[in-house]
Amino acid sequence: MNCLKVKDLCKTYIVNKRQNNVLRNVNLEVQEGEMAAIMGPSGSGKSTLLYAVSGMDSITSGKVDFFGKDISNLKPEEMSHLRLNEMGFIFQQMYMLKNLSIFDNIVLPAYQSKEGKESRQEINERAKELMHKLGISDIAENDVNEVSGGQLQRACICRSLINRPKMIFADEPTGALNQQNSKEVMKELNRINVEGTTIMLVTHDMKVAAKSDRVLYIEDGNIKGEYKLGKYTADEDIRERERKLSNWLGEMEW
Amino acid sequence: MFFHILKRDLKRKKTMNIILLLFIMLATMFLASSVNNLVAVSGAIDKFMEMSKVPDFFTIALSEGTKDEIESFIEGNEHVTEYEVVSGFLLVNEQITVVECQQEPDRTQYERTNTLTVQTCPENFMKIFPMEGEEISLKSGEIAFPKIEADNNNLQVGDKIRIKVGEVEQEFTIKVIVKDAVFGTSYMGFKRVFISEEDFAKYEEQENQVYVNTYNVNMNDEETFKKEWQECNFTVISTVEGKATVSMCYVMDMLIAAILIIVSVCLILIAFLVLRFTIVFTLQEDYKEIGIMKAIGIKDRGIKGLYLVKYLALSVVGALVGLVLSFPFGDMLLEIVIVNIKVDKAEQNFLTNIICAVFIVFIVLLFCYSSTNSLKKFSAMDAIRSGSNGERFKAKNHVKLWKRKRMKLYFYLALNDILSSMKRFGILAVTFCLDTMLILLPLSAANTLKDDSIINSFSLCQSDVYIDNSKLEQYVSDKDVSGLLKDLEDMEHVLEENGMQAKAGADVGYMITCYSGNPEERYTYYIFQAVGNWERHYTLLEGREPELENEIIITDKTAKELGVDIGDSIFFVMSDGPEEFIITGTYQSLMNMGQGFRVSRSANLDLENIAGILCQQVEVEDLEPEEAYLKIKEVFPDYKVLNTREFCAKIIGSVIDQIDIMMLCITVIVLIINSLITVLMMKTIMTKERGDIALLKSVGFDNRSVKAWQIARILIILAVAIVAGTVLSNVLAPYIITPIFGMMGADQIKLIMNPLEAYVLYPLLLLVVTGVSAFFCAGGVKKVDLREINTME
Repeated sequence: MNCLKVKDLCKTYIVNKRQNNVLRNVNLEVQEGEMAAIMGPSGSGKSTLLYAVSGMDSITSGKVDFFGKDISNLKPEEMSHLRLNEMGFIFQQMYMLKNLSIFDNIVLPAYQSKEGKESRQEINERAKELMHKLGISDIAENDVNEVSGGQLQRACICRSLINRPKMIFADEPTGALNQQNSKEVMKELNRINVEGTTIMLVTHDMKVAAKSDRVLYIEDGNIKGEYKLGKYTADEDIRERERKLSNWLGEMEW
Repeated sequence: MFFHILKRDLKRKKTMNIILLLFIMLATMFLASSVNNLVAVSGAIDKFMEMSKVPDFFTIALSEGTKDEIESFIEGNEHVTEYEVVSGFLLVNEQITVVECQQEPDRTQYERTNTLTVQTCPENFMKIFPMEGEEISLKSGEIAFPKIEADNNNLQVGDKIRIKVGEVEQEFTIKVIVKDAVFGTSYMGFKRVFISEEDFAKYEEQENQVYVNTYNVNMNDEETFKKEWQECNFTVISTVEGKATVSMCYVMDMLIAAILIIVSVCLILIAFLVLRFTIVFTLQEDYKEIGIMKAIGIKDRGIKGLYLVKYLALSVVGALVGLVLSFPFGDMLLEIVIVNIKVDKAEQNFLTNIICAVFIVFIVLLFCYSSTNSLKKFSAMDAIRSGSNGERFKAKNHVKLWKRKRMKLYFYLALNDILSSMKRFGILAVTFCLDTMLILLPLSAANTLKDDSIINSFSLCQSDVYIDNSKLEQYVSDKDVSGLLKDLEDMEHVLEENGMQAKAGADVGYMITCYSGNPEERYTYYIFQAVGNWERHYTLLEGREPELENEIIITDKTAKELGVDIGDSIFFVMSDGPEEFIITGTYQSLMNMGQGFRVSRSANLDLENIAGILCQQVEVEDLEPEEAYLKIKEVFPDYKVLNTREFCAKIIGSVIDQIDIMMLCITVIVLIINSLITVLMMKTIMTKERGDIALLKSVGFDNRSVKAWQIARILIILAVAIVAGTVLSNVLAPYIITPIFGMMGADQIKLIMNPLEAYVLYPLLLLVVTGVSAFFCAGGVKKVDLREINTME
C-alpha cells in the first residue's frame, strides 16, 4: 500500500525578484514499510523535496497524499497535528532544546500530543524502553551538551519515535557523525524500519543509501531515476549493495 | 573591506540592530529626561521662592486697630532693610458669586474653603506667575485667580464671577490662572485674588469692609528682629518667619516632587539594565562571526575596532533621537506632576540632556569595549562555538519535565527556561520589579493620604460629619467662643428634634507665643482646644491626653524643636503674664508643618489670640456615619456638610487630584515601558531562539502552543517580579515614603495600602497589558521557517 503519493509537485522560490524552480513536477510513491533514500548533488532539491512532502514546507503546486489524505492544502494547525502524531523527523544537526535533559527532550512531543490517552507515567516508560533499545539509557538525565554526536542522534531518533509515527523523515541523519556513529545510527534506523516504520531519508552517503530498499536520484529538481536494492538484512554483504548502487549512480552521471 | 563588513552587518542583522537602536533611544530618553527633571525639581522650590521674592518675614493682621502700631515697629526697627504693606479686603461667601462657569454651567455659588482676600497684583514681594505665558496685566473687569481657588470652583480662564461690597457690585472675567508662591498651597488658609488698581479703588471707598494688611519685611538680622517682634506680642492673624517656612508649605508638592525623583531613579536604572542586556546579547550573537574573522587572520584590534565603530554609529543615532524625544517626555512628566511650582522646562536645561546623551554613547562603547575585550581569551574556534570552548557542561535544567505529572507543557518549558538562564531573564525580572515599585510606592502615599484615618494625623478626631459653617469666621473675628458653643448646642437640639441623638464639637485654634526653659527664646505656635459637648479622644504617640487646665500635649516635632519631653513645662505668654503648662503626652500632626500644642477643654486661653476654627464636628449615636451624613445634610441644607473623605480632601487640597493624575501618568508610563521592554526583549530572545521554535514546530507543536510558551515565560517573570516588587515596596515604603510624611510633620504615620488596588487591580493591569504585548509579539513564531532548523548552530 502506498503511504506517500506525490503527484506533479512543484516548488518555486523567488530570489532577487526572479522565479527559481527548485522542484519541477516531481512524482513519486513510497510503500508502507519501505525505506526510501533520496540522493543527488548539492542544490538538486533533495532536502526541499523531503520538507515539501512531509508538510514542513509549503508547495507551489501538485498534490501530496499521506496515507490517503491530501496534505497539500492543510491548515497549519492540522499539519502540526499530523506532524506530531503521524510523522517523525530526524535532522542532520541533531537539534534539541538545550535547557532540557535528553529524556525530557524525548518525551516532549508525547506530552504535547493529545491523541493518545496515555498517562505521563506510561509515556515515560515507553521513552525508557526506546532509549534502552537504542542503547542510550545511561544518558537520560544528561544535558544536551554532555553527550556525543552519535548518542545525540540516537536520542533524536527516540524523540521521532515517541508518538509511534507512521513514517519517519530524515534529513542527512548521519551527515554530522563520524563513521562509527553513522553506522550505529543506520543500524537503528534499519531496525525501526524492519519493525514496520516507513522511512524516507535524504543522504549524500553511499553507505547509508545502500542500506535502504530503494534509492531515488534527483537532479535539478526532478527525479531522474530510481534503483531498487531490496530490503537490507544484517547477513547481507553491504559492500555488494554499495557497489551496485555506485554503478547505478555512475550511470546517472553523479 | 572594513566598512564593507560593517555595511553588510548593519543590513543583514536588521532586527537586532533596530532593537539595539531602540533601546539606546529609550535609555537616552529616560536618562536625559529623568536627570533633567531631578535638576528641575530638586531646586525648584527654592528657585520659586527667589523668583517670587518671598520676604524674610511677613505677618497678616487686621487693618483696624493694629496697623499703626505694627507699621511704626517695622519702620523703627534698625534690622529692617526693606518692607512694604499690602492692603486687601476680606470676602465672605455672600460677597462673591459665580456668574459663568464653563465646566459647571449651573454653578452660582462660590465655594470658599479659605480666607479670601482681594488685592492688586503684587509688584515688590510675593509675586505671582501665570500658569501659561510670562506676564500678567489686568484691566478693569478682569481678575486673576490662584490655581488652587480656581480648581476648587471648577473655574477657568474666561469664566465670570461677581464681587459685591457695600454698594459696589462688579462682574469680573477670569483673565489668568496664577501660581501664588506664598499662598498657593493648600497649607496656607489664606488665599488672594487679584484685580486692577482701578477696580480696587472703587471697593476701597466702601464702609464696613474688613481690611487686612500684609507686612512684608526683609532684614539683616533675623534672630534679633524676631525676638523683638515676639516681645511686642501684636495681635495678628498669621505670622510666617522665613522663606524656609513658606517652602515647607510645599510639602505636599514636595511629596509629589519626591515621588517624581523616585520615578526618575527607577527609569535611569531601567535604562542601564536594558542597555547592558542588549549589548551583551547582541555581541554574543556575533561570536561566530568574530571567530571566523579571527580564523581568517583579522587581528583582535581590528575586530574590536569594527564593533566599536558599529556601536558608535548606532549609539550616536540612538542617542540623538533619544535626546530629541527626552524634551517632550520630560516636559510632559513635569507639567502633569508639578502644578503649583514654577519649574524650568527641559529646554532650559538643554546642556543636561546633551551630557546625558553623550554619557549614553560613552556607556554603550564601554559595554562594547569590555564585552569585546573578553574575546582576546577565546581562540577562533571558541568564538565560533559561541564562546564555549567545547567542554561539556553540567546539566542546566533544574526542573525535570518527566517528574511533573500535571504541569502544562508550555508552562514547564517557560519555567525551565527561566531557571536555566537566570541571568538573562533576571534583568527582565528586575526591570518589571522596578516597574511594580514605580507604581506601588506612590500608591502607598496616595492611599495613605486618601484614607479616612489620615484625619487623626491632622490633630483632629474622626467624626460622622464635618460642618463648614460661614458663621465660624465671624466667631473668630468677634473672638466669640460662647457664640460658637451656643451654636453647637443649638445644632444638637435641632438634630434631636429630627430624631438624632448627636454631640457636636469644634476645635478652636489660638496663636500664642510661648517658651520652654529660657524666657528669651520665644516662639509662636498654633494651639488647639476642643470645645462643645462631644467628648473625644485624640491619637497620641506617647503619654495621655490633657485633662486638667494646666495640662498640654505637644507634637513630636515641636517637642524636638524645644527640647522638651513629657513632664516638662511650657510657658504661654498671656495678657496677664506667662502661664505654666505641663506636658502629658505627644502626638503627630500634618497641620502647621507638624508644629503645635493641644490644651485640655478646661484650659483658659486669651480669646484675643483666637486665630481660627477649623470646622464643627458632629457625632450621631446609633447611626452609621454615611447615614448620619445624609440625614444631617437634609437637616442643614444651608451648611456645607462633609464626610471624613470630603473633609480630608478639603484640608489636603488639590494634592489628592494631583496625586491621582500622577498615579495615572505613572501607570501609563509603566505600562508603556513594560510593553516596550516586553516586545523588544521578546524579539531579541526569539531571534536567538529561532532554532528552538523551528524544532518545536517540526515535531508537531502548533503555533498556539509555541506562542503560549513564549507568553508564559514573560508572564511568569512578571508575576514573580510583581510579587518581589510588592514585597520590596512594602519593605522600602517606610524608608522612602514615611520620611516624606515626616517632613510634613508626621514621621510615625502608618502607611496604608489599599489591598484591592495594590494587590489586585494594578498587578492585573500589568499582567493584562504586558500579556497582550507578549501575545502580539509572539505572533512572530508564525514567521519561523521550519527548514531553518538545519541551518541553526
